[in-house]
Amino acid sequence: MNLNKRWIFTGILCAVCGTAAAFDFGALKDKVNAELPKQLPPVIPQLPQPIPQVVPPQIQQQVIQQLPVNPAIVSVVKEVAGPTQEEEIAIGHQIAGNLLGAAPLVKDAKLQQYVNRVGAWVASQSERPELPWHFGVIETNDINAFAAPGGYIFVTLGLYRQLQNEAELAGVLGHEVGHVIRQHHLKILQQSKLLEAGSKALTSQTGNNDAVQKIIGSGAEIVSRSLDKDAEFEADRIGVVLSARSGYDAYGLPGVLQQIGHSAKDEGSVALLFKTHPHPDERLDKISVAMGARFDKIKGETLAKRFYRVK
Amino acid sequence: MSVMKQCMAASLGMLIHAMAFAGEPGVALKVDQIRAEPFGDAKVTGALKAGDKVDILRKEGGWFEVKVAKSKGWVRMLSIRKGDAKKGGNEAAGLLSVASGRAGTGKVVASTGIRGLSEEELKAASFNAEELKLAESYAVNRAQAQQFATDGKLVARPIDYLPAVK
Repeated sequence: MNLNKRWIFTGILCAVCGTAAAFDFGALKDKVNAELPKQLPPVIPQLPQPIPQVVPPQIQQQVIQQLPVNPAIVSVVKEVAGPTQEEEIAIGHQIAGNLLGAAPLVKDAKLQQYVNRVGAWVASQSERPELPWHFGVIETNDINAFAAPGGYIFVTLGLYRQLQNEAELAGVLGHEVGHVIRQHHLKILQQSKLLEAGSKALTSQTGNNDAVQKIIGSGAEIVSRSLDKDAEFEADRIGVVLSARSGYDAYGLPGVLQQIGHSAKDEGSVALLFKTHPHPDERLDKISVAMGARFDKIKGETLAKRFYRVK
Repeated sequence: MSVMKQCMAASLGMLIHAMAFAGEPGVALKVDQIRAEPFGDAKVTGALKAGDKVDILRKEGGWFEVKVAKSKGWVRMLSIRKGDAKKGGNEAAGLLSVASGRAGTGKVVASTGIRGLSEEELKAASFNAEELKLAESYAVNRAQAQQFATDGKLVARPIDYLPAVK
C-alpha cells in the first residue's frame, strides 16, 4: 500500500523532473594532503591523526619521542585538544550562513518547524543533546544533506521530496547528527592546520566573521569536500541507531539510500552527493552487515501520516 | 464529449497499466532466504541467489514482500537492490562520468532548469545573515522536542551504537 503509493509517486517525480541525487559534505582530503607538506615539518603530519593500530605501542612511543621539541609541537598539541564548543559553534555558524547564501531556506515555515522538531528529538538521543541544534530545508533540486560543526544541519528540497515518512527523515538527520557529534569536519580542519591559524579570533559573535571565514576557506566550499569513506559509514550507523533510539523504524535511512541508488539516473542532481560519498549501494552493503539481525525485534514507528509533505 | 471519452479511455488505460505492474522491480544482491513472514525466525519458504529478479510488493520494517517466479514471501530489505539490471548499467555509466570529473565543471544543472548546487556555487557563496537568523528562529528546545515525540507515540529506548564493519 505504502510501497505502491511510493512507486507511483516516484513515477510521477521521474516523469516530471527526470529526477535526482545525493548526500552531504566533501573532497577536502585531497586538498589537505596537498597542503600539508607545505605547512608542516615531515614528521608532524602523523600526530593529529591517531597512529594506525597496526603499529606496535613501543614504536608509537618512539615516534613521539623522536619529535623535535620546538614551538610547533605546542600548537599541534592544542590541535589535538580541539576547539572549544564555542569555537565549534562559531565555525558552524559561518558555514551555515554561507551555505544559505548559496541556497536559501524553502519559504514554508511549517516545513522548517517540522524538520526542527524531528531533528531536535533525534539529536536529543545523541551524546551531545546540549548543542544548539538547527535544522532546515534549502531551496535546491540537488539531492543532498549537509552538516556543519556545532549542530547546523540542512537537507535539500530535492532530497526531502524523496522521503516517504518521518522515520526516513529521522534517518537522514541522524546521519548528519553523526557527523556533528563525531566532529568529522572539524577534524579535517584540524588536520589541515587551518584551524590553528585563526583560532585566536574564534568567537561565536553573530554575523559575518572574517577570522572564521579564513579557517573554512571560500564561501561554503567546505560542504562540497569529501570526508573519509569510513566517516560516512560511521555516520550511517549512527543515523540508524539514533532514529531507532528515538522510537522510529530503524530502516528509514537504508530505505532512503535504496531509493537514491535506484532513482539516480539524472547525474546532475546526484553529482555532488556521489562525488563526495561512497555509492549508495556500497553504503547499503555496509549498513546491512552492521545491522544484521539486531533490529529484528526492535519495532519502530514510520509515522507516514504525520510526515509533512511539501506542495 | 469525444474529448471526455478520450480522457476516460486514457484513465482506464493507466489504471490497467498500474494493475499490470504488481510491484516495483528489484534484484537480489546476495544469497538470502525467503520466509513466510517478516521475521528472522519465520519459516523458510524459498531462496534467492545474487542476481535473481524479484517484484517488490510491499515493505514492513526491514523486510520486503517479494514475488519471485510463481512464489511469494518475505526477504530482508537490504538483500535487495531496487531497479532492474538494465538500470544498473545506466547508473554505472553515470558514475563513470562523475569520476571523470565532469561533475566538477559546474554544469550540474538538473534537467528541469531549476538550478542545482554546484561546487562553484558553494565556493562563491557569501554569508547571508538574514537567512541564517531566520533558520535559527525555528529552533526547538528539548521540552518541545519531547512533546513532539509524545504526540507521535515515539518512545526513547537505549540502543548501543553499531560496531564498524571491515
